[in-house]
Amino acid sequence: MTTLLETRYRAVLRLLPAYYRQAREEEMVETYLWDLDRDTQDQSRPTLGETASVAALALRSRLAASGAPRRYALLGSTARHFALFAVLLQATAALVDRVLGLTWASTHGSSQWDMFVSAFTDQGPLFGVVEVAEWALPLLWTVGFFALVHDRRRLARTSVLLAALPTLWPFVGPLVSDSVVPSDLWFAVVTALFAWLSALALCAAYHRDAPAAALPVGSPGLVFAAFAVVTGASIVLLPGAPDTAWAPATCFLVGAVGWLVLRSRSADRGPAGGAVALAALGLLLLAVRVAALYPWLGLPLPAVYLGGALGQVAGLTLLVVVLGAVARRDLVRH
Amino acid sequence: MASKGMTTAAFFVLTALADQPRHGYGILREVEELSDGAVQLRVGTLYGVLDRLTADGMIVLDREEVHDGRLRRYYRLTDEGAQALDAEAERMAAGASAAKQRIAEGRKAPGAAANPTTGPGLAGGLA
Repeated sequence: MTTLLETRYRAVLRLLPAYYRQAREEEMVETYLWDLDRDTQDQSRPTLGETASVAALALRSRLAASGAPRRYALLGSTARHFALFAVLLQATAALVDRVLGLTWASTHGSSQWDMFVSAFTDQGPLFGVVEVAEWALPLLWTVGFFALVHDRRRLARTSVLLAALPTLWPFVGPLVSDSVVPSDLWFAVVTALFAWLSALALCAAYHRDAPAAALPVGSPGLVFAAFAVVTGASIVLLPGAPDTAWAPATCFLVGAVGWLVLRSRSADRGPAGGAVALAALGLLLLAVRVAALYPWLGLPLPAVYLGGALGQVAGLTLLVVVLGAVARRDLVRH
Repeated sequence: MASKGMTTAAFFVLTALADQPRHGYGILREVEELSDGAVQLRVGTLYGVLDRLTADGMIVLDREEVHDGRLRRYYRLTDEGAQALDAEAERMAAGASAAKQRIAEGRKAPGAAANPTTGPGLAGGLA
């Protein structure tokens, strides 16, 4: 007769995908219940540690590498591509933003430098710490990217989780201080979503069994430098256009078009997850772009800013559609 | 303990299978004994390790038995698994030997252990 503990353990095993349960469930139940006293099994439950180990196994088998059924291998490949591209975009955007900000402040007289420093010092110790964290922590996207491409997964996970933290301040700040909920709440929401989806995708998809991260072309340093140059150039050449969505959206547009061109010239179409991941990333960036622009609509805006933002909206929409079509074709082909 | 390519859990699972095929629970118990209780694998963790070792060709399914209506699968080491375990054991033994030698040399050096903080700190400062 089935005991309550067995029933409960089987319920925990339902976290696992069906293909895995079919192969392993009976064996795992046998291993789990082997030396447990049958008389006490109706009073016990699977421990938290045991449940956590099954949950981790469920995550690894759903975001699987090769050898798993097609849909799970595809899900894993998509999540890994999404994480890699998203972390690269955020790394270059954060680094270039800070380098340009520091350069501007340090080369345009003492008033600019005082204004830069006052952002950290003029609002009391709590906000000072928050400002420093908001300025410094996003630089860890870069650490996360290079740790990932050099297969230092633990460092990559820690770095991106810390890098994403500042995006929570708009929601946590009003709870712990007298700061107010930001007026552009949707922008704060989609920005946090972008950061946390990137960080969590990296943490979940680059598990122990996953293959090492590999860029479709070039060395990591070269690709990072190219993205940084595109980001910096887009800000310097159109100084009236940039807002916080500008740099990652520009990089995505250039990177995704480059990816499509490379793909069209190569006989090897690469893994199916690439196009799906880029389409998902493009959709997310489109949401960030629209949320950044939306609060300003109806106000008299500089033509450069409005034109740049609307151009990005159009470009992102077009690319998402194209990438979606490519992804669909890849899915059928695989 | 294990090299970058082989985790501690994988090392002990391979060691547990070195002398004879074992089933899931047998491996769990053997790993705990071999590590003096330092490594206690959860069932979810064990099957993750078994999946990985199977995919890497280090272990294979030896046989299946059914006891009281439940499935018991026995795993055994492959030649490749035995070689990998042997190489890892050699590497660990060499590391342990080097550590012992250094400790012995440190003890022989006059005053080395008695006055360890006379030089500058790691950062080269005075603190």
